[in-house]
Amino acid sequence: MTKHRVTPSRRQFVKGAGALALAGMAPAIVRAQGAPLQLGVLTPLTGAGGFDGPRMAKAMQAVMDEVNAAGGLLGRKVVLVIEDDQTNPEAAVRAARKLIDVTKVPVIMGTWASAVTAAVAPVCWESRTFLTTVSGADPITLLPHQGYLIRTQPNSQMQGAKHAEYIASTGAKRVFIMSIQAPFSQPTQNRVKEVLPKFGSELIGGLIYDKDKTTYRSEVDQALKANPDLIYLNGYAPDVTVLLRDLYRAGYTGPRFAQSYAVTTKVLESLPPEVTEGVITVQPSADIGSPAFDLAKQRLGVADPDSYETQATDWASLVALSIAKAKEATGTGIRDNVRKISQGGGVKVYSAVDGLKLLAQGKDINYEGASGPCDFNEIGDILDCKFRYNKVSGGKFVFVKVA
Amino acid sequence: MPPIVAEIAQLVVNGVMAGTILAVPAIGLTAIYAVLRFPNFALASHATIGAFAGYIANVKFGLPILPSVIVAFLAAGLVGVATDEVVLKQFRPSGFITTAIASIALTIALENIVRFGFGNELRGYALPIERDWRFASIRVGPQQLQNLAIAAVAMAALFSFLAFTRTGKAMRAVADNPMLASIKGINADMISRLVNFVGMGLAGLGGMLIGLDTSIDPLTGFRSILSVFAAAVVGGLGSIPGAVVGALTVGIGEELCLLFLSPDYRSVVGFVAILLVLTLRPRGILGQREY
Repeated sequence: MTKHRVTPSRRQFVKGAGALALAGMAPAIVRAQGAPLQLGVLTPLTGAGGFDGPRMAKAMQAVMDEVNAAGGLLGRKVVLVIEDDQTNPEAAVRAARKLIDVTKVPVIMGTWASAVTAAVAPVCWESRTFLTTVSGADPITLLPHQGYLIRTQPNSQMQGAKHAEYIASTGAKRVFIMSIQAPFSQPTQNRVKEVLPKFGSELIGGLIYDKDKTTYRSEVDQALKANPDLIYLNGYAPDVTVLLRDLYRAGYTGPRFAQSYAVTTKVLESLPPEVTEGVITVQPSADIGSPAFDLAKQRLGVADPDSYETQATDWASLVALSIAKAKEATGTGIRDNVRKISQGGGVKVYSAVDGLKLLAQGKDINYEGASGPCDFNEIGDILDCKFRYNKVSGGKFVFVKVA
Repeated sequence: MPPIVAEIAQLVVNGVMAGTILAVPAIGLTAIYAVLRFPNFALASHATIGAFAGYIANVKFGLPILPSVIVAFLAAGLVGVATDEVVLKQFRPSGFITTAIASIALTIALENIVRFGFGNELRGYALPIERDWRFASIRVGPQQLQNLAIAAVAMAALFSFLAFTRTGKAMRAVADNPMLASIKGINADMISRLVNFVGMGLAGLGGMLIGLDTSIDPLTGFRSILSVFAAAVVGGLGSIPGAVVGALTVGIGEELCLLFLSPDYRSVVGFVAILLVLTLRPRGILGQREY
């Protein structure tokens, strides 16, 4: 048997190269005739964020469908180019490079994990591409991003302050914090300690425990020695489960307060109801009373869109409005205009389409989102947001309030 | 009792309970090392498999805890024999480093199979949680006492097996001198299957004991493997009484360190113990190859 190899002749090669060069020029011509406006979406479709990412992408698509139905942006149809960040910094950087270098998007919406955002952010600001994220780690907005980044998720400073305010409002006077060893632990403890006295309560002690232990009996002893009337369990589900058991065994019956990701429905299923009775959980909440939230509900056909879906709704709206305000689809245009359409004294609007109409009439607008007011400080953090509080009763969550 | 004495006593009690549970998989690790001469990190996933087997027996089939613990032992033991036969055995001629690395790969693969079947969420056994008993000012949990008893019975059974049965003696012979054992007509293959069964079975039992105290997910075994490894090394890798001594040292040490250190440094104790022991007494507290 002989092997044949196809070797292109020089003439064929030159022809091919010529065709390629022509093809390279083609998009420029097409673009001038109003080619679709491509915007980047980089959410985790797989990995730890695989539950939230697809729903976030869908929420953004829903907003852009409305925008397209109303005539598009700058006279062009909007197309979202969706990439999977795999909840993995390395894969995320590759996908971001593709969006920026090949698709040439002005904005990337959607990074979820803090490690992913920290990796993607420099790629974005170096190439003047705007980035929107839900990552909550404090250092994200402290990066030298030159304004090319906003986040709609509260950071641990804001969370600590809100938690402290709520804890004090329950009447707890002597609060103890047990935190897992994690980057957010000490900043949250410090913030809670700072804020509690303003509401007539105090932090009487705190400890940071090692993760992955099979028992926290001695840590529980240390906490109970301080005789607290509320214990804040600031950890993740596996360790908070052990803490709840050990607190119950030790005979503690007072209130316990935890993040909703640490006491999930699955955690409630894995523990007898008497162990979790009365636990209060907190999570950043969508702004459930706002008109933008009602619109998001209708748009998504979901009874109760969560914080991630509403944040994604707000990014798509903010980006569309910023591009319209800037009259150009560039990262710098979005950066320079995002605060002009999201805060200030303009007419309040609750959807991208309504905002676009007013902008076309030359009016100033102030977008109020489904996740919150969407007002940003100079480093890109939100100034306010709502939190949802639930209480466990009989092994089930009971809604307390959004505040 | 003066408060400081009560506190130390409480910490020691907590340490003994944590250490005893750690000792069960540590014995498994050390027994496999004694016979097959490589640290089998696949112990982590076998602990998880045992925990899940016990979960199925307890929650799905409604068996009480004691029979479920036996199911955990048997399931992890059988999986251990199968994975060794199919996977690790082929690596053994390439040396212990290759086999140890293969065992890490194996543990990740098995852990993901569990994840595929059960998902990532936490699960708990159908077991009421009781309030602790108090003796003077010392707190003891009924569940932990039961775990302690199960661990003690398992260890006693293993010691009697090794000391008094013919197969147990054959196992010790292979661990001591494989060449001489083979001249004496001991079937080394049979012994390696047996030690895998017992070793991984103990890992599965340990996994379930850990799960009884916490909750289980595919990472249950992986989270504890470093402490288990620390216990086995501190006691002397290859020595079964050493694994018990090592586990108690690590368990009690981690608790007593809370007198001076913040709880987030607790894990450090196990590893400082490894460094100290390997520096001052490289063979471990009780030395290697001791039964």
